[in-house]
Amino acid sequence: MRTALKIAWREARASAAKFLFVVIAVAVGVASLTGVRGFSRAFETMLLREARTLMAADLSVRVFALPSPQQTAAMDQLATGGVRRTWITETVTMLSASAAANPVLVSVKAVDPRVYPFYGAVKLDPPGPLAARLTAETVAVSEDLLPRLNLRIGDSVRIGGQSFRIAGTVLGEPDRMAGSLNVGPRVMMSREGLARADLLIAGSRASERFLFRIPPTTNIETVRANLKKTFPEALIADFRQTHPIIEAGLERATTFLSLVSLIALIVGALGVATAIQAHLQQKMDSIAVMKCLGARSSQIVRIYLLQTLALGLAGGLLGIICGVAVQRAFPILIAHYFSVTPKFSIDLLSAGQGLAIGLLSTLLFTLPPLLSIRRIRPGLIFRREMTEQRAGRWVRLRQARAAMVATLLILVGIGGIAGWLSASLRMGVYFVLALVVSLVALAGVAWLLLRGLKSFSKGAGRALRPSMRHGIANLYRPGNHAQAALVALGIGVMFTLTIYLVQRGMLTEMMLSAPPGMPNVFLLDITPRNRAAVEDLLSRQMGIEGSPEIIGSVAARIASIDGGPLEKRNLVGYSRRFRGTTSVTTAASLPPHTSVIEGKFWTDAQPSALMQVSVSEEAAKTLNLHPGAKIDWSTPARQFSSVVASIHRTEAIRLSARIEFLFTPGALDGLPVIYYGSVRVKPPLVGAMQRAIYQRFPTVTIVNVADVMQIIQEVVDQISLVIRFISAFAILAGAIILASSVAGTRFRRIREVVILKTLGATRNRVAEIFSIEFLILGVVAGLMGSLLATAFTALLLRRLFDAQFHVDWVPNLLSIAATAFVANVAGWLASFRILGQKPLEILRQE
Amino acid sequence: MTPTQTPIIVVSSLTRTIVNGAHRVEILRGIDFTIPAGQFVAIMGPSGSGKSTLLGLLAGLDEATSGKVILDGTDITGMAEDELALVRGRKIGFVFQSYHLIPTLTAEENVLLPAELTGVKGDIAGRARELLERVGLSERRDHYPVQLSGGEQQRVALARAFMVHPPILMADEPTGNLDSANGRHILELLLDLNQREKTTLILVTHDPELAAHANRRITLRDGLILSDELQETTFGAQVVS
Repeated sequence: MRTALKIAWREARASAAKFLFVVIAVAVGVASLTGVRGFSRAFETMLLREARTLMAADLSVRVFALPSPQQTAAMDQLATGGVRRTWITETVTMLSASAAANPVLVSVKAVDPRVYPFYGAVKLDPPGPLAARLTAETVAVSEDLLPRLNLRIGDSVRIGGQSFRIAGTVLGEPDRMAGSLNVGPRVMMSREGLARADLLIAGSRASERFLFRIPPTTNIETVRANLKKTFPEALIADFRQTHPIIEAGLERATTFLSLVSLIALIVGALGVATAIQAHLQQKMDSIAVMKCLGARSSQIVRIYLLQTLALGLAGGLLGIICGVAVQRAFPILIAHYFSVTPKFSIDLLSAGQGLAIGLLSTLLFTLPPLLSIRRIRPGLIFRREMTEQRAGRWVRLRQARAAMVATLLILVGIGGIAGWLSASLRMGVYFVLALVVSLVALAGVAWLLLRGLKSFSKGAGRALRPSMRHGIANLYRPGNHAQAALVALGIGVMFTLTIYLVQRGMLTEMMLSAPPGMPNVFLLDITPRNRAAVEDLLSRQMGIEGSPEIIGSVAARIASIDGGPLEKRNLVGYSRRFRGTTSVTTAASLPPHTSVIEGKFWTDAQPSALMQVSVSEEAAKTLNLHPGAKIDWSTPARQFSSVVASIHRTEAIRLSARIEFLFTPGALDGLPVIYYGSVRVKPPLVGAMQRAIYQRFPTVTIVNVADVMQIIQEVVDQISLVIRFISAFAILAGAIILASSVAGTRFRRIREVVILKTLGATRNRVAEIFSIEFLILGVVAGLMGSLLATAFTALLLRRLFDAQFHVDWVPNLLSIAATAFVANVAGWLASFRILGQKPLEILRQE
Repeated sequence: MTPTQTPIIVVSSLTRTIVNGAHRVEILRGIDFTIPAGQFVAIMGPSGSGKSTLLGLLAGLDEATSGKVILDGTDITGMAEDELALVRGRKIGFVFQSYHLIPTLTAEENVLLPAELTGVKGDIAGRARELLERVGLSERRDHYPVQLSGGEQQRVALARAFMVHPPILMADEPTGNLDSANGRHILELLLDLNQREKTTLILVTHDPELAAHANRRITLRDGLILSDELQETTFGAQVVS
């Protein structure tokens, strides 16, 4: 082993410059992997360490309805034991600079500033304590609101028909991540302010949280159990656990980004394999000589294996160092959603994992060239023809078997790594399948394009400019791994572009699926008192198309189904919404755009003790409901029972589709009702209508679909920015492989340059030839990447998301241009010194 | 051949045929000879007569189509690649026409290589320096092959060939790439080292002047032995300068 190590070192020492690119190629993948995982771990550590601050409390209870007097009494009982509590309400409403201006949708957070937060602090500008700033007449707003309405601190705004003075801007609030999804700018107000604005009406869609501070002498578990009994359907979390939704989200995001990083790493490893193969090809004579001098194949394999491992190790270590930068970039990328920055630290576990994976993938991909060492015959140096003989069928089969075993090992290894990163064997298998499909497709397209270019160049012959001909010919130069460089660069382009195209396609689909005739403005929280006046106002508005739809809804909770309590059901994810209150309504007949898919909808229902209900298809599926099933309901006012009459399906965009349970008329009489409206307005007149409604009914929330789309787009943009940031590493790795391939042919290039110069070519002419070569490589890689990205996007949109697909030319063309540019930069970085070679120096060495 | 001497190489009915598609070339068509230890044999013949192929087969660098090669009592025909490597490492030193030094290793490292590959123990560094001194290159031991002239490279190759005290030395046109002055110098060194190390020397050449220094001359033509004769030589004496 020592001998092998010694010889490996001596050998590598002379090729240091050549291996620089290999090291960087590995480093890029490892950097993105350790960056992603390091950040994720730091984030998780921070979630745990600062859990109290992030919750602003020791324990939080999220409830779906205002507490009953019994529940409040139970909480008061806790207070006698020293447990302090505070109440947080989050809702959306409209805010305007003055009565006449266009109102803006904002997210309100009402707190008791004397108590909130129990841990951490709300950062304000100008700085100062929250309790001193927030009164019944003031609000603190997020920075983005001020420029939107041309406001300054100290100005007045109107919320719910009341005037509030802006006391400052909110720079940070500790429990932002624990709150509900924020749409629109933040407005923080006191509970007195909330009461003054009269935003809370029974049944409105506010989210309520109670925060508790528990004295150290009290057992948190007891308090938690107590609260669980009081609020059986509430979401209770305490500081000992991280926020379950955030944690699940973090885990999924980490897995996804790790796999994207793995692609970058695989691209890097492919580069290492081509570099090692080129290196071994140059070393054929040396290997033959060593075999003549008595070296066994295993000894030589060991020498080059050690070299490969050293390269992988160097790349891995460099990658860990660069991963630090990646990890640091993350808080900036996601700053918009998480105002907290995890304390930076080098995470040894993710560093070790990155290093191991870097080494392993390097090793896996260099397996085939390393194994080929065994086939180099020592007689090579005596007679070239000895090795040129066609081997027998059996020998060829044996060699093919070795290659197949190596390929299998690579696939199993990559699958294993992907499975390890995602902690799922199935994910590993899918990853390998997707990778094989992509690589085969890319290699196939690369082969076709290269071949096409060759025959084009041949066919065009002298009609082409000489530099063009030379540039194309350079692609086929022996040792120029054009196909490998194309595949490497192409896979990066393909991946990055696919993410972008799918994102665009989805957003376009969402825009398109609100076709003319569908409502584009929604009105929330209309009180029964205002209902007739709102309808009257709408009927007199200009630009309204069709008739507005206004439906009343009652907040009721499903207590049990067929006698079985809902708590006993295993509801996960979005289905858990049924544990809280559900919006229900009545309908005299089947609403428009609705069809019955099971059972029979009533035509003229007679009031009876057991009321009939029609359930939406999705709710029926989640709760496993069929006609005849019995549902017991509870509302603060009374309990009642119903029997499922039918299952219905509604066109998704209609307001009525939001309400999943339709009762026979009269079933909900006497329960507090709140109305929702939807209307189609000519887009240019939406502003005027918003103003008109806001002026008369300031507590009615007006949601313009166009604004919501804007918000969704912002969220999607943010997410895809992170993905593209990581997938760009694959492009970088591809560019490095191109550079490495160019550097690998350095000596051939030097000779050519010298010969061309001797024959009278100017420096510019030589530069032109090289540029054409790199340009073609870049354009072809970009073309391949965008062809396959478009194909994958079409497949994903049509099959997975059931959306329309249109070819998006601009991003495709931009990607091709950008790839050509990247290829040129990479190519020239690896070869600019060649241009300056003096002919005589080189010719003398010949 | 003196009958008292033990044979170090025995070749019997050796053939080598290359099949390349429809082409079938019989390079060697049945070769028999025995070489006693310590003999200096020159293998001669025009190009294409099978000289290098024969040398390759003697060293186990290539597989015979039929026949046998026994090296120092060991039948090497049909041996596995790695077993052959071991035999070569211990028993054979090589000198090639185009030197074949490893370009990434220094002169000294090139000389050390056979000892390192075969795991020879002892003061190998001292031995390498001694050999480099004997070929007059002790000052240049840290130079890379590209920094040495052709003659100097071949002198390094000579030092490397004798590194592990091989009982057999095989040289394939060792002066073929050199000018006459350098060629003569290499031959002098080769003969001198050969005498000191008591090695059996097999020299492939088509240069009659070089062959004149051998005890025995085997001439090949079209894959067969045309003549095999002992000769009075200047072996051991100074080469005329």
